[in-house]
Amino acid sequence: MASTVIGAGITIEGEITTDEDVVVTGTVRGKLSAKETITIEPGASVEADVVGGSLVVGGALTGNVTATERVDLQSGARVIGNVKAARVTIADGAQFKGNVDMDV
Amino acid sequence: MAANTSVIGRTTRVHGRVTGAVDLEIQGFVEGEVAVGGDVTIDAHGMVGAGVRGRRLVVRGAVKGDLVGEEAVLLEDGARVVGDIRAPRVTIVPGAFVRGFVQTGEPGEAPSRAARPQVAARLAPPPAPKTVPAAVTRAAAAPPPMPAPSKPAKAEVAHSVATVGSSTANSAPRRPPPPVVPALKKAKGQIAKRKER
Repeated sequence: MASTVIGAGITIEGEITTDEDVVVTGTVRGKLSAKETITIEPGASVEADVVGGSLVVGGALTGNVTATERVDLQSGARVIGNVKAARVTIADGAQFKGNVDMDV
Repeated sequence: MAANTSVIGRTTRVHGRVTGAVDLEIQGFVEGEVAVGGDVTIDAHGMVGAGVRGRRLVVRGAVKGDLVGEEAVLLEDGARVVGDIRAPRVTIVPGAFVRGFVQTGEPGEAPSRAARPQVAARLAPPPAPKTVPAAVTRAAAAPPPMPAPSKPAKAEVAHSVATVGSSTANSAPRRPPPPVVPALKKAKGQIAKRKER
């Protein structure tokens, strides 16, 4: 159970910083950074630069992504932006437009 | 916890606007603005440097900003609020700290400092017209009219203040707390003594 949940119906415009896991089901605009796992659920809308330990995307994400561990784009994800992480996976059915940089 | 509730966790810091139509629980730090259609709970660890607007606001943590509740504002033990509070129902329990203007009644615009004189004016005038007929009917009883007009007004104010507890100081015009000069002098003296030794 993540300790920070941005639920469906919530919009945060600005900067979010945390040491914990974050689950986004709602909308985030601005900047999102976490030390642990960031999960962008299907139905979520994120227009932000994302920095995290690892990132799991099932929803829509527009912005540059940096992860210290890994980035997983799940089926149904729609991602526009550059991805920088040591390990990047893109599942069948994920939409993606941007650069991938695994040279971390 | 309802699945619909959003949580700003303990180590999470948000700088910006938080909006939405659902419930929100703040255990971390929020600076900017919070305006949701659901209930807002500010946990004992929650720190909010922002105006907060919601249906019901429950505060156990710290808030620096105005609180506007569409239905109610409840300040629990441990709540620290510096800012104005406005809601149809305001509850402040013992152990909560408030420094600001508190108004129960209709929600709507955020409580503004300009509204205060109007409130004072609304409370003050009613006794005056009432006493005039009283004085006319009791033509013989001339002495009482003077204290009579002021008593009801004072009682009313005292009652409303009593219900909101620690905001008593705010019925007086705002001014900064008196300086703590004696404490400083004492400290200085102690330091001087220590140096002498």
